[in-house]
Amino acid sequence: MSAHTPGGLPEGQAATENLRGRHRFGLAWQAWFLLATCIGIIGLTALLYNIVDRAFGYMAYEDKVAVATVSDRPLDELSQPELVAILQKKISKGAFNKLDKEQPFTSRSRDDVYALVVERVIQRKVVETWSLTESLTNRAKIEAELAEDHPQATLEFRSWLTVGFLTNPMSSQAEYAGVRTAILGSLWLIAITILIALPIGVGAAIYLQEYADHGTWINRIIETNIYNLAGVPSIVYGILGLAIFVRALEAFSSGALFGVTDSNGRTIISAAMTMALLILPLIIVNAQEAIKAVPDSLRQAAYGLGATKWQTIWSHVLPNALPGILTGSILAVSRAIGETAPLIVIGASTFITVDPDGLFSKFTALPIQIYNWTSRPQGEFRNIAAAAILVLLLMLLTLNATAIGLRNRFSRRLY
Amino acid sequence: MGLNLSTVVSDRHSSNGATDNVAIETRGLHIYYGAFKAIHDVSLKIKSREITAIIGPSGCGKSTILRAFNRMNDFVSGARAEGEILMHGRNLYAPEVDPVEVRRRIGMVFQKPNPFPKSIYENISWGARINGFRGNKGDLDALVERSLRGAALWEEVKDKLNQSGYSLSGGQQQRLCIARTIAISPEIILMDEPCSALDPIATLKIEELMQELKKDYTIIIVTHNMQQAARVSDRTAMMMLYEGTRAGTVIEFDDTNTIFTRPKDKRTEDYVSGRFG
Repeated sequence: MSAHTPGGLPEGQAATENLRGRHRFGLAWQAWFLLATCIGIIGLTALLYNIVDRAFGYMAYEDKVAVATVSDRPLDELSQPELVAILQKKISKGAFNKLDKEQPFTSRSRDDVYALVVERVIQRKVVETWSLTESLTNRAKIEAELAEDHPQATLEFRSWLTVGFLTNPMSSQAEYAGVRTAILGSLWLIAITILIALPIGVGAAIYLQEYADHGTWINRIIETNIYNLAGVPSIVYGILGLAIFVRALEAFSSGALFGVTDSNGRTIISAAMTMALLILPLIIVNAQEAIKAVPDSLRQAAYGLGATKWQTIWSHVLPNALPGILTGSILAVSRAIGETAPLIVIGASTFITVDPDGLFSKFTALPIQIYNWTSRPQGEFRNIAAAAILVLLLMLLTLNATAIGLRNRFSRRLY
Repeated sequence: MGLNLSTVVSDRHSSNGATDNVAIETRGLHIYYGAFKAIHDVSLKIKSREITAIIGPSGCGKSTILRAFNRMNDFVSGARAEGEILMHGRNLYAPEVDPVEVRRRIGMVFQKPNPFPKSIYENISWGARINGFRGNKGDLDALVERSLRGAALWEEVKDKLNQSGYSLSGGQQQRLCIARTIAISPEIILMDEPCSALDPIATLKIEELMQELKKDYTIIIVTHNMQQAARVSDRTAMMMLYEGTRAGTVIEFDDTNTIFTRPKDKRTEDYVSGRFG
């Protein structure tokens, strides 16, 4: 008697073996999925490690002018007026007046004046930095190196990510540099980008999904091309932005039409319009998918009650698609936050100490700063680049968390 | 210029409830989906305040006819109708008729309960609000209560009007959909297999409700369930595919009693006696 009839299903021993084989096959796939997840986790961990490793660690600095020649007590113990007095005595009158003009010394904080004394009078220079791993595991080697190369230098453990780093404007020296202008620039950029891209993107998605006739070839071509646009390299959008927003529309984007006189076309509005263009396809595609996912039974129910198309869309389609639209927009906006190439092409400033204060001001952004700092030869700039990356990641996380919280609130309200 | 159906609606209540009063009528109705013909030459007179059942095997166009009455077929791309559907002497497919107005006068209950993902209260009040309901909060509250009572749901949900419509059972959801429909006071209610997703007890409740509803509304129901058609309807339309084509047509339309006991057409007899279909 054979184990199975010809052309039929296996029985007995053959069936057991068949089942075992199917389970083995499943297990192999499961192992692959696990491996894939692990690779992802390893990649992310390596990324974070690499950044944190640079953002903290020992640094050695040398003072060009010894503290003892300036003050008989350590600088840390001096009060604000005493520090001002040192500054007044040791730097030229012109330089002192210039600083006073920027912000009167009477209104400057002690920390601010302290930083100025260290920068201008003591002229402290970072001579070498070490990574966090080295700092934690190999202190003896660091000290030996230091004694040999820079016998005068002082060793200090430093977190490059400090409150000062967040609140200081740019500086040509890594130790005094901060990302305030870059954070503000990025926030402005993102806010305006969202304001431009979201209404246009969602509007286009609604039209394509709810109004346009999918049967006609022209609409199919439009949809296919929007999908393709989502894959166009960002630098291409940068070139487009440069040609249109910065150059052709300079009268508008520089603010000249609105009476702004001190800028050219390389402004926040130009960058935001470029970014909006860049993420528009993503938003349209994602919003369209979200709208498509709204069950047709809801539309039918609404129409069956004598609702117009607009009433149906506004009351049922949009609220139900909103979580999906938000998810897609979060992804798109996250991309815009980190985008560097188009900003470089349209000419965002790399060194700027003034806060951006409107649509038509010059600006810099976090990715620009990071890019700029990583390309400097001095090692300590890579440390602050790592700190800036941490800031960028934190900012991304905060924005995403807000958006996800918002989305969850919307979806809870619906069901 | 829209079809002003609202003026004739008030006539309805002064028409002494004459039983031969026709609520809606199709004349030589043919329906196409693109090149495909779905319905061939249907002429029906649906009487006011009666329950008319449409029965027949799958794919013979029962739902297509039902959806033609309130112009829901307009949403199917390529769908078009020839012939007339007359309501108070006006052709609902005339170019000057706004389908939105048609759907407000001819309500619809769907096969699967499809409440809005909103509160029970909003499920009822939304239809009224979008149709320009005038009145204060109290009036709207009264409308919601009246509609829920009308659908025999009030006692079950009066303490949880702010809960989601999805928190109800399937049968309750379907009655919520009926309540939602009567909240905009249509003249005719179309029901597309309203009990096919429900258990027998929920089905029974809906059937009892239909008997109540027919005092005020004309009901047209499509059903797969012949017992249901026999139980609830006053008149029955039997549909079949038209001779050698894939287009459906009505082969017999008569009192339900006649259809189920002394059908004139042999095919009807075979179908209702369970010999096929």
